[in-house]
Amino acid sequence: MALFPLTSTFARRALAGFAALAVPLLSGCSWQSWLGLDGKQSTFQVEGPVARDQLQLFYITCYVTFAIFIIVGAILAYATLKFWAHSDADEHAEPPPQGHGNPLVEVGLIGAAVLALVVIAIPTLKGIWYTYDVPAESKADAYEVVATGYQWWFKFEYPKEQIAGAGPLTCANELVIPAGRPVRIALRSMDVMHSFWVPKLAGKVDMIPNRANFIWLKAEHPGYFWGQCAEFCGESHAVMRFRVVALGPQEFRDWVEHQAQPARSVAAAQGALSFAHVAAAPIRAYAPNEAGVSAAYETAPLDSWRARQLPNESEDPALIARGRALFSEKTCISCHTVRGVPGAMGITGPDLTHVGARSSIAGGLLENNSEQLRRWIHNPGAVKPGNKMWVTGYLVNNIHLASDEELALVAFLQSLK
Amino acid sequence: MADALAKPESPVGEAHAAPKALVLWRPEAKTGLISWLTTVDHKRIGFMYGVAALFFFLVGGVEALLIRLQLAVPNNNFLTAQQYNEMFTMHATTMIFLAVMPLSAAFFNFIMPLQIGARDVAFPRLNAFSFWVFLAGAVILNIGWFIHDGAPNGGWFGYTPLTTRGFSPSHSIDMWVMGLQLLGVASIAASLNFIVTILNMRAPGMTMMRLPVFTWMTLVTAFLVVLAFPAITIALIELMMDRLFGTNFFEVSNGGMPVLWTHLFWVFGHPEVYILILPAMGIISEILPTFARKPLFGYPIVVFSGACIGFLGFGVWSHHMFTTGMGTVATAAFSMTTMAIAVPTGVKIFNWIGTLWNGHLTMRTPMRFALGFIWLFMIGGFSGVMHAAAPADAQQHNSYFVVAHFHYVLIGGSLFALLAGIHYWFPLMFGRRVSEGWGKLSFWIIFVGFNVTFFPMHFLGLNGMPRRTFTYDPNMGWNTGNLIATVGAFILGVGVAVYFTVMIYTFFKGERTGSDPWDARTLEWSLPVPVPEYNYRVIPTVHARDAWWYEKRNKDEVARARAAHAPGEASHGIHMPFQSIYPLVSAVGILIGSIGVSVIDADPGPGLIGPKLAVTLAGLAVFLVGVYLWALEGNEGYHVHPEEDHP
Repeated sequence: MALFPLTSTFARRALAGFAALAVPLLSGCSWQSWLGLDGKQSTFQVEGPVARDQLQLFYITCYVTFAIFIIVGAILAYATLKFWAHSDADEHAEPPPQGHGNPLVEVGLIGAAVLALVVIAIPTLKGIWYTYDVPAESKADAYEVVATGYQWWFKFEYPKEQIAGAGPLTCANELVIPAGRPVRIALRSMDVMHSFWVPKLAGKVDMIPNRANFIWLKAEHPGYFWGQCAEFCGESHAVMRFRVVALGPQEFRDWVEHQAQPARSVAAAQGALSFAHVAAAPIRAYAPNEAGVSAAYETAPLDSWRARQLPNESEDPALIARGRALFSEKTCISCHTVRGVPGAMGITGPDLTHVGARSSIAGGLLENNSEQLRRWIHNPGAVKPGNKMWVTGYLVNNIHLASDEELALVAFLQSLK
Repeated sequence: MADALAKPESPVGEAHAAPKALVLWRPEAKTGLISWLTTVDHKRIGFMYGVAALFFFLVGGVEALLIRLQLAVPNNNFLTAQQYNEMFTMHATTMIFLAVMPLSAAFFNFIMPLQIGARDVAFPRLNAFSFWVFLAGAVILNIGWFIHDGAPNGGWFGYTPLTTRGFSPSHSIDMWVMGLQLLGVASIAASLNFIVTILNMRAPGMTMMRLPVFTWMTLVTAFLVVLAFPAITIALIELMMDRLFGTNFFEVSNGGMPVLWTHLFWVFGHPEVYILILPAMGIISEILPTFARKPLFGYPIVVFSGACIGFLGFGVWSHHMFTTGMGTVATAAFSMTTMAIAVPTGVKIFNWIGTLWNGHLTMRTPMRFALGFIWLFMIGGFSGVMHAAAPADAQQHNSYFVVAHFHYVLIGGSLFALLAGIHYWFPLMFGRRVSEGWGKLSFWIIFVGFNVTFFPMHFLGLNGMPRRTFTYDPNMGWNTGNLIATVGAFILGVGVAVYFTVMIYTFFKGERTGSDPWDARTLEWSLPVPVPEYNYRVIPTVHARDAWWYEKRNKDEVARARAAHAPGEASHGIHMPFQSIYPLVSAVGILIGSIGVSVIDADPGPGLIGPKLAVTLAGLAVFLVGVYLWALEGNEGYHVHPEEDHP
């Protein structure tokens, strides 16, 4: 009995189904986008050798398991349909022969299973060694960075870029790396476990307190990549995000040089420094978890990031000066470092020396613009529940910002290019 | 009541030994609340496990639906971050410890003694104690919902230092620690009981290689519990010491090692996965032969591969930690052992298909669930092999790909088998069976809903969506997958609702069945329905692997063997254990003490007995009194002489 003659309804439907699947594939969309696998953290659209090695291995596991699935599934489906006792007569027929098994078949199948696994095991072993550390031949070329996880943000330090009197160059939430060079990132945590994951560049490695982990990765080309903490680390784990920006060699050197400078200072005319409260529009209401990103900004993220490196065109020096004063007055300085602002040497929170040049704030959660920055400092607890700035800062020190104070602080922070 | 012992000719039969000098209460009620609170009957205890497990299954299911509602659309604020973290912590803890494990325990209790031809488990009162302690643990775990501290929110894996006092100061983690600790006590006590029962109380002729596969898997699972739970017991005690007494096992600033927790947890946590799946494999290995009407294909190799999975299960824990930076050699070793475990698992699937081959497949509802199990478990197994390739796992770990994987093995695997088992043994337990139409309908809704929920999660994970996140942005490419998953979750919810509604209806009004409605193969089906309290009027003699199938076809031989030893049994009657209240009393003591330890605020200073110490000590006192009286009353029983011609 032919199980599925081509004329059967089932076979025709199956063919139609395959055709329906094939149309979008043939019509030019990549299969990744058709399956919705082309996101910002896609593990399929890789841009570095580590992620590529991991992806190749994933494909191998897919091929092997799909092949087994089709074979075993076909046999299971065949057995189910073929031996199905459809009629009452079938069911009440004499029981079938009471066979207990067939050792040859069983040993053969065990052997086949082992063979299939060997096909996976060999590239797995290769991949384990390759993805673990920078290959020996390019070790000398590797650039070193230290990444430290905090609830809920990332600190990035550049031990090779020492700044006189201030230690290594320190940034937060945006890791800028040289493209085309392996980067070896030491992973630390100062509180709970976190995990460093930039899917397009490399799989994750955990940041564990009291443990010296590291990860290596390489961005093949300049680019802008999304990353996210991948180990549950408390209340706001979901919004502990970061970016990796890969720049060409010269652009990277320029960036480092600029970052090493102290904070930019915008000169203000003396007369403008009277800090009287000015009526300012109150902040608009935000729903909890409301998105803080815009589509326009992300169409060409690296260009957007580059544009942010330049000072804003219209700046109000008086407002900025006021914000600078408020930064001390409101005790921001006890947790945040801004090199160049006297007393701003806190290390509990991110280094803000060049915060205006970053493309995101609040741990990679919000786009860095005046509106979102104001939302963030207006009520950090609403943006990122349980965060230290709110719980041990605003609440403990009873910090309140009037609307005009918010605007001044925003102007100051935005000026820190 | 207290004078029960003064009446040797009480209706339950004559007392086995002379009354003790001390007045102990011998409860005799056979119906009503007291009978349930004091029961030592494995079938009643199994039933209570089942009811409790199904209740918590629904609780965990509601938690799952709330999670899916929050994630249905990006930037949703249906739940707060903290509520969401409580939900996924409690969803996992509930489903693992309060739903699937006790549902398996329900079958161990009800079915296993019947399958080996025993009249009860080896230690009936310990069995009752296990159940009551399980219930106490479930209560402690869930108290948080109703008090200010909130439910546990550190994840079911409770990674330190997040769960240390510095980062989680509320009592919710104390309750999680204490709750799991009690569940460990319950599970270990129950498992020791099952091991002793299976090894010692088999009917004559029931050799190890004639044991039904479900009983075999019960045995393997029980060994896994006994060997795996001590690891988490140690971890939990260390965490409790850190939290309550300021020790430094995981306290980073004082040199504690958070990575130690991850090892201890997963040394337990991975065998735990097999604790959840092996009973399911046992159930499937019972159902397929019954409905294919032929013996299990390759019985010895199925049994051996089950044991092999259990054994290897202790050598793969670090595959949950491929991203913790173990180094190349350790990663390679655990990668290889994890792949190796796919072999015995694959063997089981091959043998199940071999069982179908040349069979007469009667497609009843249990069989549908069993076949659904094979398909879904196979998919879950394949994504498991993908995780075993450690470099690929570096991308998959802690992403939704893993969520998809383990729901395929735990719902598609464990739960489908347990739902199949409920259908399969329902006629034996309650003498009724579900109508085929409704059974088929619930199967298809559950099957479709399950796949719609969890298949898209593979894609979400590979597209970079991490687990345990209460929100996501709309620009990440995760919107469609999440919406589909949420829709699927509600389809699944409807399926489960239909399943349980039909079950409850059937319990009261379903079609009545006689004994052995499926023309089954194992010994439990030889019993009348409802199963008498003493199970077997005459202990059966076993002549072949599928004992009941053999008996049905060789009546004369079996009857001769039985007749040979029946008179001996009849002369002294059937020995039954007395009911006892003391397992419950001891468990209540443990519950009170645990509330003292985990729920009440620390006392203000040393030297004073504040509320925390007072409640804890009160609980300890009740526990000690319970254990003392338990020991004092002894393991005595009475005899019954059932009618010769039982219906």
